Amino acid sequence: MMATLDDLLWSYQSLIYGLGTNAILGLSMYAVLQLGQLSLGQAAFMGIGAYTGALLTLRLGLPFPLVLAAAAMVPALAALVIGGPTMKLSGVHLAIATIGLGEVLRVAYINTDAMGGALGLSGIPEKSTFAIIFGLLAVILAGFILASRSKIGRACEAIREDEAAARVMGIDVSAYKMTALVISAALAGLAGALNAHFSSFIGPNEFAFEAAVSILSFAILGGVTTPFGPVLGAFVLTALPELLRPFHDFRLVFNGLIIVLVVIFLPRGILGFRIRRTGG
Amino acid sequence: MLAQQLFNALVLGSVHALFALGFTLTFGVLRVINLLYGFYVAAGAFAALVAVQSLGLGLWAAGAFGVVVAGLVAVVCDFLVLTPLRRAKAPELSSLIVTLGGVLLMNSLMQIVFGAEVRRFPARLLGQDAVTIGPLVVAPIQLVIIATVFVLVALLFWFMERTRLGTAIRAVAERPDTAALMGVNVGLVVAGVSFLSAALSATAGILIGLNFNAVHPYMGEPMMLRGFAIIIIGGLGDIRGALVAGLALGFLEVMTAGYVSSNLKEAVAFTALILGLWLRPNGLFGRASGKRA
Amino acid sequence: MNRRTVLAAAAVFSATAALSGLAVAAEPVKVGAIECLTGPAAKYGTMIKAGFDLAAEEINAKGGILKGRTIELIYEDSAAQKEQAINAAKKLIGRDHVVALLGPTLSNEMFAAGPVANERGLPIIGTSNTAKGITDIGEFVFRTSLPESDVLPVTLKKAQAKFGIKKVALLYSNDDAFTKSGFDVFKETLEKLGIEIATIETFSVKDTDFSPQLTKIKSLNVDALVVSALAEAGGGLVLQARQLGIPKTVPIIGGNGFNSPKIAEIAGDSADGVIIGSPWFIAKEGAQNKNFVESFRKKYNMDPDQFAAQAYDTMYILAAAFDRAGEADSKKLRDALTKTDNNGLLGPFKFGADRSPATAEGVVVTTIKGGKFTLLQ
Repeated sequence: MMATLDDLLWSYQSLIYGLGTNAILGLSMYAVLQLGQLSLGQAAFMGIGAYTGALLTLRLGLPFPLVLAAAAMVPALAALVIGGPTMKLSGVHLAIATIGLGEVLRVAYINTDAMGGALGLSGIPEKSTFAIIFGLLAVILAGFILASRSKIGRACEAIREDEAAARVMGIDVSAYKMTALVISAALAGLAGALNAHFSSFIGPNEFAFEAAVSILSFAILGGVTTPFGPVLGAFVLTALPELLRPFHDFRLVFNGLIIVLVVIFLPRGILGFRIRRTGG
Repeated sequence: MLAQQLFNALVLGSVHALFALGFTLTFGVLRVINLLYGFYVAAGAFAALVAVQSLGLGLWAAGAFGVVVAGLVAVVCDFLVLTPLRRAKAPELSSLIVTLGGVLLMNSLMQIVFGAEVRRFPARLLGQDAVTIGPLVVAPIQLVIIATVFVLVALLFWFMERTRLGTAIRAVAERPDTAALMGVNVGLVVAGVSFLSAALSATAGILIGLNFNAVHPYMGEPMMLRGFAIIIIGGLGDIRGALVAGLALGFLEVMTAGYVSSNLKEAVAFTALILGLWLRPNGLFGRASGKRA
Repeated sequence: MNRRTVLAAAAVFSATAALSGLAVAAEPVKVGAIECLTGPAAKYGTMIKAGFDLAAEEINAKGGILKGRTIELIYEDSAAQKEQAINAAKKLIGRDHVVALLGPTLSNEMFAAGPVANERGLPIIGTSNTAKGITDIGEFVFRTSLPESDVLPVTLKKAQAKFGIKKVALLYSNDDAFTKSGFDVFKETLEKLGIEIATIETFSVKDTDFSPQLTKIKSLNVDALVVSALAEAGGGLVLQARQLGIPKTVPIIGGNGFNSPKIAEIAGDSADGVIIGSPWFIAKEGAQNKNFVESFRKKYNMDPDQFAAQAYDTMYILAAAFDRAGEADSKKLRDALTKTDNNGLLGPFKFGADRSPATAEGVVVTTIKGGKFTLLQ
């Protein structure tokens, strides 16, 4: 009996880890969407974190907590650097500029032999555990909930609704935007390192356009009116391809169909309704 | 060699522009980031392929068939998937995600029907022997591509400026709500733009399929990213902008690969994009676009 | 769908075997296969699956393995995603309790899924992974895919002797593990043979336009083009090279990825004169290959490629290893696999100490003539 249960857990262990890391990615997206900023650099930041983490583990053998800290710090620094110029952009222009960042980095990984080039980095030891991934997820989620109920949440909402008015109200819009971008980058980097340390391998093509769009879809499908939305969205989109395995050839057909139906019937996301603050 | 490289740039730029024309229409007029656009490229090419192989049509008839089929598929997809969102006044990004699901659905269905392997149009539909003109080596299909792009741009200009539907489309693009109040049939405009943009993307698919002898379910996907860059630099909904930005990107890519390093081809394109956006945050032609007019 | 046909064939076989008085163990031996069956890499995965299915059907029809048990292949799709490859491996091992794994299609996926099988002590055999370091994952990881390091020197030497090649242009897809590994070998071999590399040009696996690189190469007057690319990009590249006026007296030498009917299909007449070295090609002599090609065409209505041939051979290698192991036990199977001595489509085959193919005897150099692969004389 125990053996069966063990097998069951073992079989779905990576999937469960994937749920957790993708939920963190969803929250990373949420951080910027909260301010109405369509920054799609999350995949690029995830890549920076994944490469930083994997290289520190493989080449220097640093302890895992230190690796994770660095994997969050380096993309955060990168966000600080590129944050200035991109602050000027909004809407689709910001989106495409940040996607461009991912593409430029992809070419850089491919051309850098020290980073494995086209072959990527393999043999990354398995260090991510259930406790680490979901512990971090819980802390991050709690942080977002607390922030959204405080004056930070109200300021974010004001910026999202009308940036000019928010400025008039005395909110430092640029500081908020920069902080959101840095937090978003740190979370994406963290998720990237966690992913690298349970899937043994990272490659240069994993952090480009497609990844950017799927991270965005975690947040949008789940809904961005509450931090639980992106988490739920990530869970659904990560689990679907695995749950649909019995359909064999039609697996991705059903996967696509379910996404279409969910969006049509719940256009504001699965958790699109407001369940937030009382009074304000 | 420079002459040939310039010609290569013109061909590649035309392919980019061809892909971007319909994309900029659907994005600019309908305000929808439609990821299905890449699918219509393959749908048009496959429909034309079926017309040639199973219905025995000639190249031009098959091409027209492919274009119409893709256009109709787009009208149906739009009606089933995007119209409900429009009616519900759903957030902009929901359309992006719904088309993401749509792409997964349609591409997988297409693979089940047609198989995963790469196919091609029968040889000799169009002469493939290149001819030498002065310092240039030119293949007939390349001339067809360049001519098609310029003819289509001219036709689109005429259509948008001189026809009633074109005027209605422009009205909807500028002020959707006012247009509806003024008696413009928004449903018809939406259907018209969907048909037109998918027809343009199918034209791109067929010509690209002929040029590179490769037709497969995912042939539109690699073009999406560059397509985004082109229509944003060119300005959303801006036909002239799509042409200029497409040609410019082609030029930049060919010159980088030809004279600097082919390693940097992709990076240079996107570095230029980022710099361009930084210097001109509202696109090449400075039009305010997106949400804030 | 094909899984059902295999099962049906297995059922029919069991019935006939029972009638003829053979000892029939009721339970089939479960083998898992992880392949890209959807998504852009599905063209490779479906070819590999076709090779597996054909071989398994033949083996089961001829009496199966382990004195009358049939092979039951359970496929899981990886859609070219490493996470899905891991999940598929875990599902096959933990839920379906397979004894061995085949695949995954891409080297990237093997780097992710290989450690899973290795950790559980289950043999996993890649049939299409050529990237460096694959079998370093662990002692349960095997591959039957041909190391290009054995094939390419033969090709280049023959081409050098026949065409007097002194200076070449080297081209490759730099964003793919398969083609990058091929490039590394090409470069090393060219340097060893003292052939000058006039230029190294790269492109993306997804590219369709190679005109700037080829125009540059045309002006360098090289004796040959050496290309490491997958069949689709490769076919397009050959077509454009000839269109741009690089004459047919300048041969184009391809790596593993070129060993596909798609090259001639895409490039048409332009493919004539393309040179490829391989232990297998579709027109290879011998009854075994004729049978394979004929059955393959009959079953699937298309030509097999190298991926299908490698998969077909691998299934026979696996079946023989089961019989040598004496029971459907993963550990014993691993030891039995190391003693493989097969003579299949690819010629004599053994695993080396690193669990990669030991030698690639019988490598022949072929060229395309009139759209067909023929021996280069």
